[in-house]
Amino acid sequence: MIRFENVSKTYKNGSPALKDITLNIEKGEFVFLVGASGSGKTTFLRLLLREELPDKGRILEAGRELTELSKFRVPFLRRNIGCVFQDFRLLPNKTVFENVAFALEVIGRPRSTVESQVPLILDLVGLSDKSKSLPGELSGGEQQRVAVARAFVNRPLILLADEPTGNLDPANSESIMALLERINRTGTTVVMATHDKALVDRMRRRVIELDKGEMIRDQVRGVYGIDESVAI
Amino acid sequence: MRVYFRYAVKETLSNLWRNRMMTIAAVLTVAVSLSLVGSALLLKQSAAQASSQWQQGTRVTIWMEPTASAGEIANVQTQLHNLPIVKHCQFRTQAQDYVEMKKTLPPSEANVLHEDQIPTKFSCVPTVPLDAFTVQSTFMHQPGILTVTAPEQQIREMNHVIRILQIVFLALALVLLLSATVLILNTIRMAIFARRREVSVMKLVGATNWFIRIPYITEGFIQGLLGSAVAIAAVTALHIWYPLHNEFQLSTSALIGTNIVVLIVGVVIGSVGSSIAIRRFLDV
Ligand SMILES: Nc1ncnc2c1ncn2[C@@H]1O[C@H](COP(=O)(O)OP(=O)(O)OP(=O)(O)O)[C@@H](O)[C@H]1O
Ligand SMILES: [Mg+2]
Repeated sequence: MIRFENVSKTYKNGSPALKDITLNIEKGEFVFLVGASGSGKTTFLRLLLREELPDKGRILEAGRELTELSKFRVPFLRRNIGCVFQDFRLLPNKTVFENVAFALEVIGRPRSTVESQVPLILDLVGLSDKSKSLPGELSGGEQQRVAVARAFVNRPLILLADEPTGNLDPANSESIMALLERINRTGTTVVMATHDKALVDRMRRRVIELDKGEMIRDQVRGVYGIDESVAI
Repeated sequence: MRVYFRYAVKETLSNLWRNRMMTIAAVLTVAVSLSLVGSALLLKQSAAQASSQWQQGTRVTIWMEPTASAGEIANVQTQLHNLPIVKHCQFRTQAQDYVEMKKTLPPSEANVLHEDQIPTKFSCVPTVPLDAFTVQSTFMHQPGILTVTAPEQQIREMNHVIRILQIVFLALALVLLLSATVLILNTIRMAIFARRREVSVMKLVGATNWFIRIPYITEGFIQGLLGSAVAIAAVTALHIWYPLHNEFQLSTSALIGTNIVVLIVGVVIGSVGSSIAIRRFLDV
């Protein structure tokens, strides 16, 4: 589903953000991306969204070669990728229902699809009763669940999450995590960048660790830090 | 497609409404500048029409000295007769002119005139209007001739004035068109800025570039269109009520042609303004 071949990325101004990354993520996998601040996790996800292009190497994703993909086709790539961020990125003047529906409307889905899919997904994230609320009237955890609903409503092949629990308390983090797991069980590949040690340790999923842009660990049933005493 | 159409219409109207002050400013600037363009075009056509009408009836008048002898008059007459560039001539005696003047002048002035004060004249129509000058220079300094007048000069002066007016109108219009484009560009920029969250979400979930752009393009297009509509109304009103209309009898087709040009220019500046705004401020 995702394949990096000797990928390097340096931003125009500064030090390298990713160095010679080679890896393979299969369909349906759940992957944690960990590493200190500035290690290149967000850059990794931005490459997958094709917000950035690598300087060296190739990236294959959902059957497409990103380095060859014309600008014209990028939107169609993104329809296969859902995305969740630390800061939710909801539209404050649209209701919960409208926020989720927006993701379908702007890719030209007919009204009948919108009317059947949005209630289903709101039910999945447990917010059916809040569908007419505005984001400002919801808790952080609820807002993030709306964001997950929006990312998943088009049934993408891949779900990317950049510190989705970064602004949430442990209880809300748990509920988001449970949601992502549930989405993963439908066959969706999930890549999640996180600093949440407890979460990673408990889940026991594949862990990829970056350090100053280099991949220093790729562990099948990993924990947040392999050797706690050294990691600190 | 229907989903998109509804979306684009809703989005465009709400953008126009949200920025209504700027929209009004942009539409009025477009309207004023296009009215100037339209008037300049009408003026040009009127001038062309007028000068061709005048030239049709161009006459050279050869005024004889009141004291000219019969021999001198006869001499001029034969020369005119033999000149191929002169189509036909009419000789008017002092008596004929005296009668005509008495009719046209108020009695107080007419009574002062005596028949022998009025010069005899030949009123000639040249084959080609521009030959009036040649006729004029041929006879100017011949014996017995007082002066030779041709209206050609007046036509040229009139044309000159109209051309200057036209240049002034067009220069003003050009400056205003430029500011109209900038104003449209700015309203679109504000609309894009107001919608930057929506736009970033749209990009994220895979809306195509055209889907994102079209509401802003139609916004500029509509501003240009509204501006031209106002300008067309103004130009048409000018055509109907301004006295130029009666004097030069411009055809309806000239008016329609002018209005089509106004419409096209309006739509073009609307589209250009929004295209520049999109290229500069909507990074898709
Ligand atoms: N848009 C950018 N322009 C220039 N440099 C950037 C940009 N984004 C990130 N960087 C640099 O690239 C490196 C990797 O940044 P990145 O955001 O990928 O780290 P991260 O692992 O997501 O960090 P965090 O855990 O703090 O979110 C950092 O050194 C950062 O300063
Ligand atoms: Mg980051």
